[in-house]
Amino acid sequence: MATPRSSLLLTALTLGGIVFGAFTTSAAAADTLRIGVSVAATGPAASLGIPQRNTIAVLPKKIDGLDVEYFVLDDATDATKAVANMRKLIDENNIDAMIGSSAVPASAAMGTVGLEKGVPVVAMAAAAALIQPMTPEKKWLFKAPQNDSLMADAIADDMVKRHVKTLGFIGFNDGYGDSWLAETERAAAAHGIKVVAKERYARTDTSVTGQTLKIMAAHPDAVLVGAAGTPAVLPQKTLHERGYKGLYYQTHGAAIPDFLRVGGKDVEGTFLPVGPVLVAAQLPDSNPVKAVALDYIHRYEAVYGPGTATAFGAHAADAFSMIAAALPAALKAGKPGTPAFRAGLRDGLENLHELVLCHGIANTTAQDHNGLDARGRVMVTIQDGTWKLLP
Amino acid sequence: MDFSIALILVQDGIVNGAIYALLALSLVLVFTVTRVVFIPQGEFVAYGALTYAGLQAGQVPGSVGLLCVLGAAAFLASLWAERHQLGAGRVARLAAGTLLLPAAIAGLAWLVVPHHPGVVVSALLALLIVTPVAPYLYRVAFRPIAHASVLVLLIVAVGVHLALTGLGLVFFGPEGSRADGFTDAIFDFGTVSVAGQSLWVVGLAAALMAGLSLFFGRTLTGKALRATAVNRVGARLVGIGIERSGEIAFILAGAVGALSGVLIVSLTTIYYDTGFLIGLKGFTAAIVGGLASYPVAALAAIGVGVLESFASFWASAFKEVIVFTAIIPVLLWFSLRHHGVEDEE
Amino acid sequence: MSRRLSRPLWALATVAACLLVPWLPFLPPYWITLGNYVGIAAIVAIGLVVLTGEAGITSFGQASFVGFGAYATAILTTRWDISPWLTLPASLAAAAVAALALGAVTLRLSGHYLAVCTIAWSTSLFYVFGNLEIFGHNDGITAIPPLVLGPWRLVDTQSYFSVVWLGVALAAWLTSNLLASRSGRAIRALHGGAVAAASFGVDTMHARMLAFVHAAVLAGFAGWLYAHFQRAVNPTPFGINASIEYLLMAVVGGAAHIPGALLGALLVGVVNDELQDLLPRLLGAPGNFETIVFGALLIGVLQVSPDGLWPHVRRLLSHLPGGLARPAQAEPSATAEPLPRREMPPADSPVLTVRGLWRRFGGLVAVGDLGFSVRAAEIVGLIGPNGAGKTTTFNLLTGVDRPTSGEVEFLGHPIAGRPAPAVARLGVARTFQHVRLVRTMSVLENVALGAHLRGHAGPLAGMLRLDRTEEARLFAEAWRQLERVGLAGQALRPATALPLGQQRIMEIARALALDPVLLLLDEPAAGLRAGEKATLAALLRRLREEGVSILLVEHDMEFVMGLTDTLVVMDFGVKIAEGTPAAVRHNQAVIEAYLGAPDDEADAPAGAA
Repeated sequence: MATPRSSLLLTALTLGGIVFGAFTTSAAAADTLRIGVSVAATGPAASLGIPQRNTIAVLPKKIDGLDVEYFVLDDATDATKAVANMRKLIDENNIDAMIGSSAVPASAAMGTVGLEKGVPVVAMAAAAALIQPMTPEKKWLFKAPQNDSLMADAIADDMVKRHVKTLGFIGFNDGYGDSWLAETERAAAAHGIKVVAKERYARTDTSVTGQTLKIMAAHPDAVLVGAAGTPAVLPQKTLHERGYKGLYYQTHGAAIPDFLRVGGKDVEGTFLPVGPVLVAAQLPDSNPVKAVALDYIHRYEAVYGPGTATAFGAHAADAFSMIAAALPAALKAGKPGTPAFRAGLRDGLENLHELVLCHGIANTTAQDHNGLDARGRVMVTIQDGTWKLLP
Repeated sequence: MDFSIALILVQDGIVNGAIYALLALSLVLVFTVTRVVFIPQGEFVAYGALTYAGLQAGQVPGSVGLLCVLGAAAFLASLWAERHQLGAGRVARLAAGTLLLPAAIAGLAWLVVPHHPGVVVSALLALLIVTPVAPYLYRVAFRPIAHASVLVLLIVAVGVHLALTGLGLVFFGPEGSRADGFTDAIFDFGTVSVAGQSLWVVGLAAALMAGLSLFFGRTLTGKALRATAVNRVGARLVGIGIERSGEIAFILAGAVGALSGVLIVSLTTIYYDTGFLIGLKGFTAAIVGGLASYPVAALAAIGVGVLESFASFWASAFKEVIVFTAIIPVLLWFSLRHHGVEDEE
Repeated sequence: MSRRLSRPLWALATVAACLLVPWLPFLPPYWITLGNYVGIAAIVAIGLVVLTGEAGITSFGQASFVGFGAYATAILTTRWDISPWLTLPASLAAAAVAALALGAVTLRLSGHYLAVCTIAWSTSLFYVFGNLEIFGHNDGITAIPPLVLGPWRLVDTQSYFSVVWLGVALAAWLTSNLLASRSGRAIRALHGGAVAAASFGVDTMHARMLAFVHAAVLAGFAGWLYAHFQRAVNPTPFGINASIEYLLMAVVGGAAHIPGALLGALLVGVVNDELQDLLPRLLGAPGNFETIVFGALLIGVLQVSPDGLWPHVRRLLSHLPGGLARPAQAEPSATAEPLPRREMPPADSPVLTVRGLWRRFGGLVAVGDLGFSVRAAEIVGLIGPNGAGKTTTFNLLTGVDRPTSGEVEFLGHPIAGRPAPAVARLGVARTFQHVRLVRTMSVLENVALGAHLRGHAGPLAGMLRLDRTEEARLFAEAWRQLERVGLAGQALRPATALPLGQQRIMEIARALALDPVLLLLDEPAAGLRAGEKATLAALLRRLREEGVSILLVEHDMEFVMGLTDTLVVMDFGVKIAEGTPAAVRHNQAVIEAYLGAPDDEADAPAGAA
């Protein structure tokens, strides 16, 4: 066998492939802001990624005298692919900033590339661990959605208000479920609530009878479902069928229209924390978020039809708003397409002051790369098949 | 755990197990007749479920498009396979089976959907739409290499699974669906309450198994299929084409899969990619039956369902680990029964 | 080899290419990144060449081993700050240990059972990775340190490209060495069927395990490379879909060829990337189009070209000047020291004694109360009509099948029921009624396989080419046996290119390479022309003179009568006569057995076929 020969041949083949793809490189222009986007348009986080991808299409094409160009790729909820996407966008499209991805592992891995290449990344995944505690590795990574700890605290506050003493948890057997379980245990302990059952299930499970029986055997006052999208319905429906009489809580991951469609009357009366954008029309006019959120909803629904806008999609709009707000600082530092510009953008991103987003009001610092506070979430309940803002 | 909890778990396990049993049976059937390890069996569950749910929601489901596309592909594949012995009559018959039939079913769907079909009509229509996909797949993917080794057929089956999952996302989207069952009734038996739909699932599964055993025992076609399973050359001598038997096996597999989907979609939410794991568990059971014995496979399927149910109670995070590791000792036992070196097919 | 570049020069050229290619000025940087992913995947696919292409084991679980390698280094480097270079052995060991454990439990399974079992345990492992604290749960482990070489942190794609592709070259080199070595031939022998492999002493379970572990270690290596390139790990890239993608690469490229694995990895990588850009634009809708295309690709390739694309590419490339024709195999080495030979038992001493041998299949008696003996330097013929139980007897004598009861003694060792390799080790070699050769090997390699037990080099020696002296001796032996049977002129042809008769002769050469005391030949003269039969008879007589004992099943009576010293006649599993050819010829029972079965006309005493 001629091994060295084969290896060399292969190198030659790779070269061939490389030349084959060489035509895709585009020329850079100094008056264009290039934003790369990697979302989970397929795979387990697709229900988050699809509205985020759709949102990119309704974002402004011009800002501060700059043309804005977006390069959107799907990473299929796979961190490997997300990193490959980002490297591709950096190398071929010379992007100035990156938005993405929808899930935690992909976002974290993109932050590492951001540090290596000097490209700021604004993640659309929620886990606080992405940016906390702040370390040098996370220097180029920012995050648009509220920390899940903020959401978990909101749930715990609400539970205290409703005299919940014991809580059962059932969540996804994935990263989303992991981080919600951790945050729930933390928040519950801080509020004097006891977590009496911790169960897990998979997105595509067809039965959660075993888990619900275990939860019911522990007699919790309330149950929190740590899941996203329509799969969040199954545990609640099963508990309902088994005659569970306590309170139901969901996470903001359930806040999509399909959850209401699949859940139907069985999810009436559920409590969940959400970004204010979800109930923008119900916010008081005095809330500065209302106008920004409604504007996003109008733009989105003008393209995709009434009732289609989601809170997940708004994260993409917020990620863009954060970049846009950092733009003046970046332009002072250099022209788009240069390392100086990108460094300026990064600096700008950690000096946002009272920036109004769809999901709240952000004040970022070198230590806090998210910047949303308690104004970034509201509690809602499900009433008559729709979201109802709680006072 | 007290007795009533155990009882509920057993009941839940039996309902899921009944679905696994149906799939296991059809996997055994397809394997014995065609030697294809039909990995995409689970996709038919998802397709059947989502098609039924779509019809209930008043939409013409995406699988109608899939049916037409695959029908056309099967038409071309058949033309190519039989290019040396084609007559006008044969082409016409092929066209009727692969082009006209899907078109007619699609037309029917378009006509029926606006009238908000009831549960039974939707279920039948869903079966009608999804079932022919299986024999079309057989013609496109498996028939051209019907004599390849079991392993090659297995890899092709995995390829079909990949393609069908991808198509499922295109046609049905990422979100799941639920639909109305045949009944809302709930029966109370002391401490345990049983949903009427669960009884439907178990009852229909049992009826279907009985029907299949009648089919194999009493009808000529059934006997022919069994003959093919036992001896492929012999079957040909009796005048039953292997290809014809293969097609019938796939039709049955498609129908069983789709029916399982229709049954289960009122009990749980089904996604475009739910099928794979369901199919795999049916598969585990079929393997325990040695891919040959129907009763053992059916019993094993119930066992898998019950094991899964208890695993989700005891250690929900490790449920799949428990279920899929349980198959290994069984397989080991099989292999240790055979002594010495043996050549693989 | 003289006209070609020497081995060190090739190595140097490969290293130079790996170092320089990423810095070529006209290359878009992203394609270097893609090259890294392709390289990492190619290493896994090279493992599948050994596992699936050569050993015939289909695995839907390779990504799990990539996971073991990746997690091992991720855990060690992030928790205990161990240098990534030091964790490389740990990554390889983690994959190897996992493979040994999984292999011990599942490798006994055959064919599709094993394949399905790989699906089961890889699904299990996916959830194990996602649910244990040590693996960082589903979000995995981040902030894995990069490789550092002196003052350089290998974080940029260009320098990592060199690391990856040097790794690919190393993996390809080690693997092709392995496949060309004694251990590798044992793995490749599985292709010709486990029975044949075992009959010349290959421990088939051991060979399967070796292939399994080798593939797993390569996957673990790929995992280590992946972890330090991605610098984060989580369970997703180690799931069943990734495993399917690796298998796809191997199958599409051509599972039996190392360059095929590279081609497959390249193809899947590039197609994946192009589809991502192209398909949504073409179809206007988003979706997992790669999976559809890959599924269709898998089906299409297996239907149209089951051996993958590499054989076609190789054919194309061989037309190029200076082409890629395979290098000539070594000629018979003049310097290799001959292998030591077994001492033959003194003439006329008992070699094989069979007493009261029974084999029942259910109620059917295949062999009943059979007894006979073979003495040293004697040719014994075992004859009888079809279905008389001759081949079953052979299988019982060689450990392929286990007798229901009875004794078999070979040179004083009881061998009834002992495994085939153990029987072969004592000096029993055989040929087969239906030729069993390794289709992917040349005639010479097939014969060298027969000398398996006369070599000792292990897989590591083979991979590192420390077995050259022994290999030269083994191949010299193979050449010698081929000359002996008159096939030396065909030595370098593919074994499948020989006509059937010559394939039988090749099997004899293979059996002789074992240096047997007792040779069992199952219809050696079938398919030979008259002249060839005479040559064969002369060869067997010469062997007898050298002290070899021969037990022979043959239907060609003229051949048998002229050659054998003793004949044993069987009918319906029972011995009906024994004696010299002349005595047997006139035995009434024998005549009835043959004439009473007019259907077996073909078996009746006849002249040249």
